[in-house]
Amino acid sequence: MLTINLFNGLVYGALLIVMCSGLALIYGLRRVVNFAHGSLYMLGAYLGYSISLHSNFWVALVAAPAIMALLGVLLDRYGFRLLQDRDPLTVVLVTFGLLLVIEDLVQSYWGKSNLSVPVPEALAFSINLLGTPVPAYRLSVIFIGAAVALGLSLWLRFSKVGLFVRAASTDPVTTSMQGVNTDLLSAGVVGLGTALAGLAGVVAAPFLSLSPAMSADVIIDSFVVVVIGGLGSLAGAFIAALVLGMVQAIGAVYLPDAAVLLPFVFMIAILIWKPSGFAGSRT
Amino acid sequence: MNFQKSLLSAVLALVLGGVLTMVVSSGTVLSLLTQAIIYAVFALGVGVLLKQNGMVSFGHALFFGGASYLVGIVLQLQLMSAELAILAALAVVTLAAFLIGLVIVRVPGVAFGMLTLAIGQMFFLTASRARGLTGGADGMNIDWPSRLFGFPLSQMLKPASMFLICWSTLVVVMFLLAWLMRTRFGGITEAVRDNEERARFIGITTLWPRAAVYALSALVTSVAGVLSALNTGFVSPESLHWSLSGVALMMVVVGGFKALWGPAAGAVVYFLFKDILGEHATHWMTIFGVALITVIVFSPTGVAGLFDRWVLGKKPSVKVGGH
Repeated sequence: MLTINLFNGLVYGALLIVMCSGLALIYGLRRVVNFAHGSLYMLGAYLGYSISLHSNFWVALVAAPAIMALLGVLLDRYGFRLLQDRDPLTVVLVTFGLLLVIEDLVQSYWGKSNLSVPVPEALAFSINLLGTPVPAYRLSVIFIGAAVALGLSLWLRFSKVGLFVRAASTDPVTTSMQGVNTDLLSAGVVGLGTALAGLAGVVAAPFLSLSPAMSADVIIDSFVVVVIGGLGSLAGAFIAALVLGMVQAIGAVYLPDAAVLLPFVFMIAILIWKPSGFAGSRT
Repeated sequence: MNFQKSLLSAVLALVLGGVLTMVVSSGTVLSLLTQAIIYAVFALGVGVLLKQNGMVSFGHALFFGGASYLVGIVLQLQLMSAELAILAALAVVTLAAFLIGLVIVRVPGVAFGMLTLAIGQMFFLTASRARGLTGGADGMNIDWPSRLFGFPLSQMLKPASMFLICWSTLVVVMFLLAWLMRTRFGGITEAVRDNEERARFIGITTLWPRAAVYALSALVTSVAGVLSALNTGFVSPESLHWSLSGVALMMVVVGGFKALWGPAAGAVVYFLFKDILGEHATHWMTIFGVALITVIVFSPTGVAGLFDRWVLGKKPSVKVGGH
């Protein structure tokens, strides 16, 4: 019983890692907290649903994040870039407006009722893990989360573009003086972050149902993760995501009625202990 | 504005409200105005937080819906009289906000906004899923007694008297806020808002004033929640939803937060706008989202800013928040 719940906590933590790495990347480069990130996740999930109806899940897994990446690039070019000299709260309010628009459009196009995406056939079996059978699909979600975390860390640490991203996150003006095209870089990073939100949506679809409330559910946890991890810190977010996933999973067993409020309690506890989060805030 | 002047304008505003109920005979118009006034009080709470603390809350619906729910639950369980229930609801919301504030105001800038949104939405989900006490997603009716503060409820619920109650509440709340902002408390909070570090240097503990402003803004918003509970006799999770927090925020942005009356003006503009759009506007979230983006991008100081620029000829100072 506990094994399967810890396992589910890990699955949810992995999903949060994919979500929050997008949030943290965009924040790092543009100093923008994208309030519409959860709505982009929802949009990705619904796009994935429509694509897998027409072809199959694997096409959706590639195509939906690709479409979201394009949207992200447009968002940066015609949103964040034009607003980069404005007060950060102005941009936050703009993304909040965007949230309302996306929520409404998704609801009116796909409807308010719950939709579900079947688990792809190739992964529709169980694996024996420490004596407990666990669905292979969920296990692969953990792998995707780990791959995203590892891939991003290696990319930022060892590639040339990764170096540019780190430099631009620290000081965009100096970085552009050194000849780095920071506008292009930002467009790429916001595109990547948005694609990750879309990826999280597609991946979540087969084990969480699609509903207009899905963005609200995930954005609560993502914001809690990003804040207690330390705003803009990828490593902090990874740790916080895994811990919160576990808290949720264990809470679902022992305190089923208060499960929704657990992230709240968890967040308050962490913030009393460390007001700027695990990794120290960079605001 | 000095004390006598604001007292005079408050009295004038009260008289104006009375005259309005005599001039406007249409019950529908009065009900619409009443709603606008209730939301004006709501937005006033959000505005005070931004004005005095430079902090944007994305979760103030928590205090609006929370107050309505508290009154509803207390009356349903018949714990105390309705008058006491109202006071208890206001007190509980304020105290809860103060305690939450003590933790989350320490988080700077945008992160604070993220936390308010997360907290608000958590309580929305709790209320929608807790079927027993709150009726879940269907909401709950509020069993008001037949007499409240000595007045028969049926009289109070008439459009004209309801409007007068809400209007007077708005005027009194605004007057009290204007007074409070001129006291030492107002000065301290402004010092903390403008430069927290320097405020600390001159010996001000900065945590308490910030949490106190957060609690104050929650109190103002919870007054709106109680008014709404009285006006509609009903509360549902909708009044805890983030889109409502967003609407209140939009009123503040549209009205402008620099002036105390800005958010209230924003609320009136919002309801006029909504009325013109009429019932056929099913895509209201899209429309409001686009309107919010347009206003914040093109006129960050809102209606009050336009008023300053066009009527009073002041130079615009474009800055949202203070950090």
